[in-house]
Amino acid sequence: MKVEKVTSKLYFIQRISILIGVILLFIPAINPSRISGLIGKNLSIFTSGFFYSRLTQNFGRAFSKGWVGTMTTQILFISSMIVCIGFIICAAGGCLSPGCLKMKRHGNILSIIGTITALIGAYGIRWAQIDIKGTSNPDKVQPMESNSLLIFAVLAILILLTSILLFILLPKPDKNEKYEMETKYKLFLLILPFLILCFVFSYLPLFGWRYAFFDYKAGDNISMDNFVGFKWFTYLFENKATRADIVRVLKNTLAMSGLGLATSWCAMAFAIFLCEIKNLRIRRFIQTITTIPNFISWVLVFAVAFAIFSTDGFLSSILIQMGVIDNGVNYLMSNNHMWLKMLAWGMWKGLGWSAIIYVAAISGIDQQLYEAATVDGAGRFQRMWHITVPSLLPTFLVLLVMAVAGILSNGMDQYLVFENSYNTDTVMVLDLYVYKLGINNGKIPLATVVGMAKSIISIILLFGANKVSKMIRGNSII
Amino acid sequence: MGRQTKKEKLEKKLEMNYEKKHKRRFKMTWKDLIFEIINHSFFFIFTLACIFPFYYIFINTVSDNDLVRKGAINFIPQGFHIKNYLALANVNDLITSLTVTVSRTLIGTVLMVAVSGFVGYLVTKKEMWGRKIWYRFIVVTMYFNAGLIPWYINMSMLGLTDNFLAYIIPGIVAPYNIILVKTYIESIPAELEESAQIDGASYMKVFRTIIWPLSKPILATIAIFGAVGNWNSFTDSLILMPNAPQLHTLQHKLYSYLNAATNLKGVMSSGGSSVSGSALNNILNAKTIKYTISMVTIIPILLVYPFMQRYFEKGIMLGAVKG
Repeated sequence: MKVEKVTSKLYFIQRISILIGVILLFIPAINPSRISGLIGKNLSIFTSGFFYSRLTQNFGRAFSKGWVGTMTTQILFISSMIVCIGFIICAAGGCLSPGCLKMKRHGNILSIIGTITALIGAYGIRWAQIDIKGTSNPDKVQPMESNSLLIFAVLAILILLTSILLFILLPKPDKNEKYEMETKYKLFLLILPFLILCFVFSYLPLFGWRYAFFDYKAGDNISMDNFVGFKWFTYLFENKATRADIVRVLKNTLAMSGLGLATSWCAMAFAIFLCEIKNLRIRRFIQTITTIPNFISWVLVFAVAFAIFSTDGFLSSILIQMGVIDNGVNYLMSNNHMWLKMLAWGMWKGLGWSAIIYVAAISGIDQQLYEAATVDGAGRFQRMWHITVPSLLPTFLVLLVMAVAGILSNGMDQYLVFENSYNTDTVMVLDLYVYKLGINNGKIPLATVVGMAKSIISIILLFGANKVSKMIRGNSII
Repeated sequence: MGRQTKKEKLEKKLEMNYEKKHKRRFKMTWKDLIFEIINHSFFFIFTLACIFPFYYIFINTVSDNDLVRKGAINFIPQGFHIKNYLALANVNDLITSLTVTVSRTLIGTVLMVAVSGFVGYLVTKKEMWGRKIWYRFIVVTMYFNAGLIPWYINMSMLGLTDNFLAYIIPGIVAPYNIILVKTYIESIPAELEESAQIDGASYMKVFRTIIWPLSKPILATIAIFGAVGNWNSFTDSLILMPNAPQLHTLQHKLYSYLNAATNLKGVMSSGGSSVSGSALNNILNAKTIKYTISMVTIIPILLVYPFMQRYFEKGIMLGAVKG
């Protein structure tokens, strides 16, 4: 009984250390193989261990002048790879640990092998570290020593110790024992790689919110020296220029989302009137054609706009032929009614598609209702208003509530492609603003603050929408 | 399968006949007539607005280039030729970006479908350790978003900038598609699976031999949505590939061509072609080249769409009833 308690605790330590070790492999801030300032800040030990060209990207001059020998970098490269492989072997060992005694034993052996491999690699990196210190030009090569190697070494030793202890403590399995694992753990191990992927691409970015609290420029490191607290949050409102920007951007965002909301009934009307066309073949045809624009990208929508409305496009040449104008006019280069134009393009792209759901809902309405109404003398529009619309209303309301939740997220594609120097003031929406601010102008902390605020407001709106939907039709949308 | 479609056709025919008979009996008042005319003409105009631009671009790519430059080709093509399409081989990097787009569409879609199928199957297994937590762990990611900048920093931290893998890996786990597959698999009778498990089949085998073939309709649906999404992807190329023009997707290339200067030199490589610059200008012009590139980007979707429409519609309906 006591032994079991000890082993379960040891396993806990072992698994956590393996997990941390494997995650650290992918984090550039903790890269022990960054032994010189010439090695990029964005390289993790995994990248530097498997892509030699990325590791030595900036070493061209150092090699040719003889400041650093190729031997050093090669050893660094191979050692980094060995460290990675070691931790991956440990991970495999850790994965075997939920199995039967035999699997546990093999898992521990694997972990021991993995940690020893990793320690050998760590020694290689240490060797390269010392070697690069002896460079003839320390100003350019900037030899570095970081604690990250120590972190990896400590993790490896921790795993090694726990594995050895577990190896000793656990009873020896029968020779005839089969490789078996409880199904619940087997299934978990099968799904684990995908959980990790999900974590890396959806949860890890949340960690980037910390940039909002630092004075960060691209390529810098984050340290306590440039911690600025809530400076960027107040800056957003205190700086006149950014405040004006934010107000304008919010106005555009809300105006365009608002127009979208105000016209969201159009899809329902489209579906109702489409169903008034009794010839099935024509109806089918219309539905097919009108849904096509939904499947082309906004860039292609812009290509279409370009073909129709640019200087030598369709509209200009028709108007020239009719003698209305003398020279071609580029209608895309204007700032008139941008909000309405954007709405129109959105309708062109999405109306047919959003109608499909209503068309399906209409075909589900009981035909007897219509027959009864006709007998009672209801006209076409009365039937629409009193039968069709009420039956579509729940669907409509739920979609509307969802749209309200997404009021700040217009997406940036549409506005990015249609934006130009004439209309930038009126099409700049929040998503596009964050992109321009962060990626084009390099104001990463400020853009992060704006994005953060947007994300938080959006999620609050979503929960609100969920509540409303629960009230309307009794089930939640999330 | 064949029998079913026959049956469907028969049903449709009957329905149409019924409607025809109905119409003959139905007396049309002048009010109805006006309504029919207005209604039909509205839909006619909207449909035309949806298809005409594509037609316009197309006829301008296959008509005589001099007439196109003058703006004379508006409704009817004249002087048919396909030189513009042949000339695309000389357009800077177009072939590379076509290769990038096609390969990311193929690889990305295949991986996404396989993983969605597999994960969708796994999360239906009630005996999994912590199943509910892990399922929520995946699903919740649909509803929050760290924002563009943290996403970008994360990608560059992972070494996925200027790297082809950036197109593939982040898309592998698609929560929404996993939900769709899970819902579908739950509707498959459990007895089928149980009988196989009694026979001693492993999870992998059950998945391969029973679940995968049975869930083909839903897998086809998500495959089509995934493929269209990959083909249309533009933002990731724009943001993640600043220093790797050889990795730009077709949409990104098209975007930069549309915004490029109006002279041909900006678009065409002068070195590789045997014709001199001015001669080239005679046969081609920037307008037609832009149109032709647009056409090449649209054509796959236009070609695939009519055949796949029922899958698309299935997709939106599944999305609506999800819960």
